[in-house]
Amino acid sequence: MEEMLQVRNLSKSYGSLKVLKDISFDVKKGEVVAIIGPSGSGKSTLLRCINQLERADGGEVTVCGMPMFKSDSAGKAVYSSAKVLREIRLKIGLVFQNFNLFPHMSVLRNVTEAPIQVLKHPKAEAVKTAEILLKKMGLLEKKNSYPCELSGGQQQRVSIARALALQPEVLFFDEPTSALDPELTGEILKVIKELAKDKMTMVIVTHEMAFARDVANHVIFMDGGVIVESGTPEEVFGNSKSERTKQFLERYHNG
Amino acid sequence: MGIEEMKKVAEILLQYVPATLKLFGATLLFSIPLGMVVALLRKCKIKPIEWLISFYILVMRGTPLMLQVIAIYYAFPFLQKSETVAAMPGFVRAIVNLADIRDPNYMFRAVCLAFTLNYAAYFAEIFRGGIEAIPKGQYEAAECLGFTKIQTFFRIILPQVIKRIVPASSNEVITLIKDTSLANIIAYEEVILKAKQQMQLYSSLTPLFIAGVFYLISTIILTALFSFIEKKLDYYK
Amino acid sequence: MRKNLWKTVAAMMAASAVLLTACGSTDTADTVSSDKEKTTTESTTELTKQDEEEREDLSLQKVKDAGELILGLDATFKPMGYTDENNEIVGFDIDLAEAVCEKLGVKLVKEPINWETKEQDLSVGKIDCIWNGLSVSPSRAETFNLSDPYMENKMVFVVAEDSEIKSTKDLEGKKIAVQNGSTAQEILEKSEFAKSCSMTSVATNIEALQQMDINLVDAVFMDDVVAQYEIKSSEKAYRVLEEGLAEEEYAIAFRKEDQALRDEVQKILSELKKDGTVEEIATKWFGSDITTIK
Repeated sequence: MEEMLQVRNLSKSYGSLKVLKDISFDVKKGEVVAIIGPSGSGKSTLLRCINQLERADGGEVTVCGMPMFKSDSAGKAVYSSAKVLREIRLKIGLVFQNFNLFPHMSVLRNVTEAPIQVLKHPKAEAVKTAEILLKKMGLLEKKNSYPCELSGGQQQRVSIARALALQPEVLFFDEPTSALDPELTGEILKVIKELAKDKMTMVIVTHEMAFARDVANHVIFMDGGVIVESGTPEEVFGNSKSERTKQFLERYHNG
Repeated sequence: MGIEEMKKVAEILLQYVPATLKLFGATLLFSIPLGMVVALLRKCKIKPIEWLISFYILVMRGTPLMLQVIAIYYAFPFLQKSETVAAMPGFVRAIVNLADIRDPNYMFRAVCLAFTLNYAAYFAEIFRGGIEAIPKGQYEAAECLGFTKIQTFFRIILPQVIKRIVPASSNEVITLIKDTSLANIIAYEEVILKAKQQMQLYSSLTPLFIAGVFYLISTIILTALFSFIEKKLDYYK
Repeated sequence: MRKNLWKTVAAMMAASAVLLTACGSTDTADTVSSDKEKTTTESTTELTKQDEEEREDLSLQKVKDAGELILGLDATFKPMGYTDENNEIVGFDIDLAEAVCEKLGVKLVKEPINWETKEQDLSVGKIDCIWNGLSVSPSRAETFNLSDPYMENKMVFVVAEDSEIKSTKDLEGKKIAVQNGSTAQEILEKSEFAKSCSMTSVATNIEALQQMDINLVDAVFMDDVVAQYEIKSSEKAYRVLEEGLAEEEYAIAFRKEDQALRDEVQKILSELKKDGTVEEIATKWFGSDITTIK
């Protein structure tokens, strides 16, 4: 299977605090990877590094065969040219914890703005694509509403449609349900499952173990800035090798 | 004062309403874009520029507008006479000599420059507050969607900033219409200056009250305009 | 107040000069000269004295070349120079200046200025002279090139024509009205009359006179020039007591270096006195020639 994302020895510190240490993993086409772990384990930072919202210190990341950065002989990350970085940017989409929809734009414009302005797609075409995506999200009748008029779950679905409108190769989710009421997480889970059915490559940072168990082909457990354990959901959840994973899962089940 | 006299005074004052409105309009026209540039420069990462902008804002907000009008109005003529400037390179002298105090337009230009510089500083602070109030997530979302910095600013940040700054700006604009009367410190002929002259003529305060009515009407119009704008922008939260 | 203004303006200009030099060159000599700048602006008068000796006086020629004499006034001093009900600047000074300009063969331009910044306006050449009932004082004689005084002014007591008050001695125990905030009020408060008379302050001189009409007060203390004008224009029976307080004189102010212009205006005034024009104008405004032009 084709490698969509390769992460090798990625490291990142804030001052003297090492938040990511030697992270390495691969994501293959059509795979759904769930990254779980306690707060402060570095999973969000990892996602932000891959999405170029943070600069990594060292290691190597390759997206769809294009190198994002590579360590030089001294171990410092050297980033590719702005042109390559931009190309990579358009290959990956990110869904935020807080949705980050543009409040002054209607639902439809939230979805069409980037295709029109960034990809220079004709407006009619962008609207057609957006409408298909919104229909898929069950929000077509809300296309002229403003984000403030929608529920949290609806807003998150719009933001998924917005990310999908750029037709990314890999879609990242940064705790997509953390800001939602528990009863609304179901609708997001349903959308992600449907995307998985369409063979969308996805990396999901989450607290929801149900997400990881039900949708993921691969689960990564992180703690203290390192990958503690990684494998199929059955391996990680049913038969954890690491004591830390067991503890985390137990606490999760009890709490 | 009798009704007839009051009518006469009102007629004279009305002739100077355009002068007041001209200063008001020109100041807004120039100070808002300049304020935006200043607000962005203040966030500039180059330290000397940041310091310079902070100093500019400090001086503009820290000294009376009346003084700034006087300083700018007399600065050019005095510089023209000064030996320091005479000894400077040609382009400096050329800039300084552009001003001619006897040019009928010089007074308006000087007043307008002073008002613009002053109001730009206030607007810059309002804009800065508006820009800083936009959540970081908006920038990140725009970045992830591939918008350029310029697209991000004009399409995503600025429209949201405008909504946030309308209430504070309306305050400034209403203050400006009344501040225009400060221009009479150098005898710029506007409504209040004329009212003062008529006051002396009739030995009565009434002309000043008549002028007050003009400012009140202007303020009513501006208030209505801004509440209309606020309503227009109320389609999202 | 004026000194403070000056200092601030000078400081501001020094600051802008520093900025300008910073743009122009990095030579340290420039920074030194910007310090000098501050001192030059503060001692403009000294400088101009030197200039006067070095330069030929072209002041009169300049006015003739321009074809206009720009007269600065604050346009609220009735009856010397003020804005009338038709928004025209009129007054005794204006009529006199018109007559002078006619002889000089130039147009008179009446430029309203702010009285507080008149020194600067004259100094930077916005105007050619200040001609607006300007009182002579030692500091003004120092700052300006003053004409010979053309009119005397004093603070006088106005009483009703039929009043029993014949001289200031009769004022004891009487009620005197003054305009609130006026120089007259200040002077009266400091004078010996303050002890022996009772004083009331009213908003305007006109009101003060009206109060006298209905016998609320016995006398009004005010500017002689204004009194003469009010008596003439109201056509009421008032009388001015001979003896007044604090005599002052009015003169025209020119730039220190503008000797030729000042002398020419002075010469023309004397000519106008001789041919009766001055009397004509003075009578129009005050009922008689109260000028002191020789």
